[in-house]
Amino acid sequence: MAISPVPMEPTGGALTETTLNSEDSRRFGNLRGVQWRIDLGILPSSPSSSVDDLRRVTANSRRRYAALRRQLLVDPHLPKDGSSSPDLVIDNPLSQNPDSMWGRFFKNAELERMVDQDLTRLYPEHGSYFQTSGCQGMLRRILLLWCLRHQEYGYRQGMHELLAPLLYVLHVDVEHLSEVRNMYEDYFTDKFDGFSFHESDLTYKFDFKKFSELMEDGNGSGKVAANASSLSQLDPNIQTIVLLSDAYGAEGELGVVLSEKFMEHDAYCMFDALMNGSGGAVAMAEFFSPSPFASSHTGFPPVIEASAALYHLLSLVDSSLHTHLVELGVEPQYFSLRWLRVLFGREFALEELLIVWDEIFACENCKLNKLAENDVDTSSGVLDSSRGAFISAFAVSMILYLRSSLLATENATSCLKRLLNFPDDVKLEKLIRKAKSLQALAVDANNSNPLLTQAGMFERSESAAVRGHSLSFDATSPRTPLTLVPDSYWEEKWRNLHKEEERKKDALEKQAPSIRKGWSEKVKLGLSRTESAPSSSSVDKRKKDPKLSVRRNLLEDLARQLGADEDTQSIMDDERADVKDQGVEDGQDFNDKFACTTEQTCLSGNAGSEENSSIFSDPPSPINGVNDHGNESGRSSVASNSSIDEHDGGTNTAELCAHNPEGLPLPVSDSPDDVSLEASPNDQTAAEKSTVGLKERKLLSSSKFQWLWKFGRGGGEGIPEKGQVSEANKGCSNRFDHDSVTRCSASNGGVILSSESSKGETVDQNVMLTLRNLGQSMLENIQVIESVFQQDRAQAAPAKNVLVGKGQVTARSALKELRKISNLLSEM
Amino acid sequence: MVLVLAIGDLHVPYRAPDLPAKFKSMLVPGKIQHIICTGNLCIKEVHDYLKNLCPSLHITRGEYDEDARYPETKTLTIGQFKLGLCHGHQVVPWGDLDSLAMLQRQLDVDILVTGHTHQFKAYKHEAGVVINPGSATGAYSSITYDVNPSFVLMDIDGLRVVVYVYELIDGEVKVDKIDFKKTGTATSHSAH
Repeated sequence: MAISPVPMEPTGGALTETTLNSEDSRRFGNLRGVQWRIDLGILPSSPSSSVDDLRRVTANSRRRYAALRRQLLVDPHLPKDGSSSPDLVIDNPLSQNPDSMWGRFFKNAELERMVDQDLTRLYPEHGSYFQTSGCQGMLRRILLLWCLRHQEYGYRQGMHELLAPLLYVLHVDVEHLSEVRNMYEDYFTDKFDGFSFHESDLTYKFDFKKFSELMEDGNGSGKVAANASSLSQLDPNIQTIVLLSDAYGAEGELGVVLSEKFMEHDAYCMFDALMNGSGGAVAMAEFFSPSPFASSHTGFPPVIEASAALYHLLSLVDSSLHTHLVELGVEPQYFSLRWLRVLFGREFALEELLIVWDEIFACENCKLNKLAENDVDTSSGVLDSSRGAFISAFAVSMILYLRSSLLATENATSCLKRLLNFPDDVKLEKLIRKAKSLQALAVDANNSNPLLTQAGMFERSESAAVRGHSLSFDATSPRTPLTLVPDSYWEEKWRNLHKEEERKKDALEKQAPSIRKGWSEKVKLGLSRTESAPSSSSVDKRKKDPKLSVRRNLLEDLARQLGADEDTQSIMDDERADVKDQGVEDGQDFNDKFACTTEQTCLSGNAGSEENSSIFSDPPSPINGVNDHGNESGRSSVASNSSIDEHDGGTNTAELCAHNPEGLPLPVSDSPDDVSLEASPNDQTAAEKSTVGLKERKLLSSSKFQWLWKFGRGGGEGIPEKGQVSEANKGCSNRFDHDSVTRCSASNGGVILSSESSKGETVDQNVMLTLRNLGQSMLENIQVIESVFQQDRAQAAPAKNVLVGKGQVTARSALKELRKISNLLSEM
Repeated sequence: MVLVLAIGDLHVPYRAPDLPAKFKSMLVPGKIQHIICTGNLCIKEVHDYLKNLCPSLHITRGEYDEDARYPETKTLTIGQFKLGLCHGHQVVPWGDLDSLAMLQRQLDVDILVTGHTHQFKAYKHEAGVVINPGSATGAYSSITYDVNPSFVLMDIDGLRVVVYVYELIDGEVKVDKIDFKKTGTATSHSAH
């Protein structure tokens, strides 16, 4: 029978409960004891189960408990197993034998002592119920039996706090029942065939007259009929209560679902179900166990894992607060241990706690993510259900509630103080609503627990690189400045720094990458990552979070600039030295290293040009990766060229440009999203010895890159612009195609011009400066190309003659284009 | 469920060096609620050891005890039972049941615990129970041959007392059990 309850307010319950319950038509919304038993899995939860089914299940569970009690509560005076002469050597009180009755008795006594210690301090503010000897006795027995049954957990402080509300709701239900009984006495009294018996009824004194009077009054069968019909007309809640507590229903008295006599049994069943999780994921007992979860991959106790999941969710939701807490050293388990172990029992008053538990129990507890059992990236097992997700979401909403006060404190102890003394005047509906909204996120968070990936917060990060990576991901997301205005300041600083360092490192090209890396990391942690990020992304095309992409796009500029600095220096160095031999190695190194530096790219670009040129005849795809680097370094070098022009006068630019053009077109195609990808170090590598055409292409793309870079520098508006430009680049850079190159250059020029014009309002000065620089560098580049062109023709062409021939043609046309563009620029 | 240890006549260090190892391993703190000691410990160290076993320690003076402050007799009530304690060298003839019964009536107790004979005895008569825990160390006695180390543990539970006797016979601990029930307050005491 489907009974939709009209939510009645339980004794002392808050009004909020009605609003929360009205959404879900729960059968026993007002009878928490029954509802929770359904939620915890003791009673059948399907809406079609009748009251009789409920009664039967209840009776069975009670029988089980009674048997358990008989079995485990030891009376040492009774002989074991009914044997009349127990072996006294074993079964004497002083026996050391743990199996002896007395041994067990003493163990139980010890357990009982521990339980009593906690029970005496249980809910003193509600002492009128909880401190009564009857209630205490029940709690003690239940806890004892559960601990004896589950020896592996023993008794831990906090279990009593989980049990107490369960018993309380049963008690509330029974009280409610007695109220209903008083109101609707008629339905409860034991009417035998419709006659209510009086004590003085003696059959032989039966007054027939009186009887007939009674009949006429309608106290007879008529009343029975009236009763039956009126029962169904009753408020459905009352109806269920009557049926649930009918002593003559299924299973008789044992099946009376709301029964005072069997409160202990029911409470035990609920407690057991709560601790075991009823086959679901959230088993409270796990929170008490010090050993790692069976299927855990981290080797941490489940509480730690759950706390980590909590913090992970917080980092997803409010990363600034999360980083603040992490910086202060507030580990989640300091406060979440108490929250989780007692399911927030210590944070809220009893009545509010009941509401919270209503919500928690309403969530399903079946394990999600079953398929991921064998993966390394399994979820934190103990919270792997929607109930677990709600728990962690609720905890996070609690933390967020204290957000302002937490952010205001600067030391860990006051943070903890605030977290551990949750304010009393909390709007529970708000918390619950927020928790519900976070619940979905929590499910995902549980699945990707950073604790498992070991790149997270508990000092288990293995490599510095990984750690740095994670740090930058977590730490920089809210704080990274999204404007590039400070970049120019930093950029100059770095450039200055870098020049000096570069001069010192003439002979140390090999080690330079790491040094460079360290240096850049030194300067700015997050940005150092992003600096290498573009190159790395160009290498392996990592999938980045969408929210980080914006930041990266803007930071790539800076990275490029940094790289440019490094590149120029390195290129200068390289060109001076005979780097060709190193080129191969560098190129390979560069390819291999995940966090490449532009230094590397320069090296590979410059030195490995021979190698790359040899590869150029091969299909472009294998080179693309290399070329990406080359492109980057090329671009960065170009960029640095232009920037250096401002400072130095850029004698090197020509050389750089000579190197750059060749690899540039190729990488651009590969990474349309990243502006920086247009340059690749391999461009540099390929530059020197490859065909003129390639050089020209590189030059073209380098010029485009320059422009793009300038735009990016100019003020970060460039995303759509960059998009345009990158698309243009992409379009033109795909192949060694002469036409495409020309088209590209043309389109690029057009795009750039358009973007230039669109940029008119913002950062005018920068643009002007940069454009002028561009023009100059272009001219220089062209000169270099022409000179190299001459050289190439002069040299004995290697096997790449075919390309060279084609390249010459394209190179020339490209040069012409360049001239035009540079003229335009210089005019501006 | 009160566990009471009745022990005595250790005569440490004069007639015996220490309790037997097996007894010592059984006597661990925490299980026993009371200790009643008939006397003749003789030195303070034994007193401290027993005190460590259980803080509730009751001793009467034996003739060789070095601490002269112990009383000659003592009575205490545990649960429903009244216990009387005396070393027994005062009751002549030593170990005579009738004389001990006289003492019991005099002290008005249900259970009388005495020692001195270094021999375990447990009598039941209409007025109550007389228990002699023997010598815990098996110390020499001039009136008993072949003294076996022994002591007694009483489990007082309501109106019933279960007496466990621990004896060390041939190096093995043997345990025996005797049940006594208090029939009713009216019968076991005569008015004085």
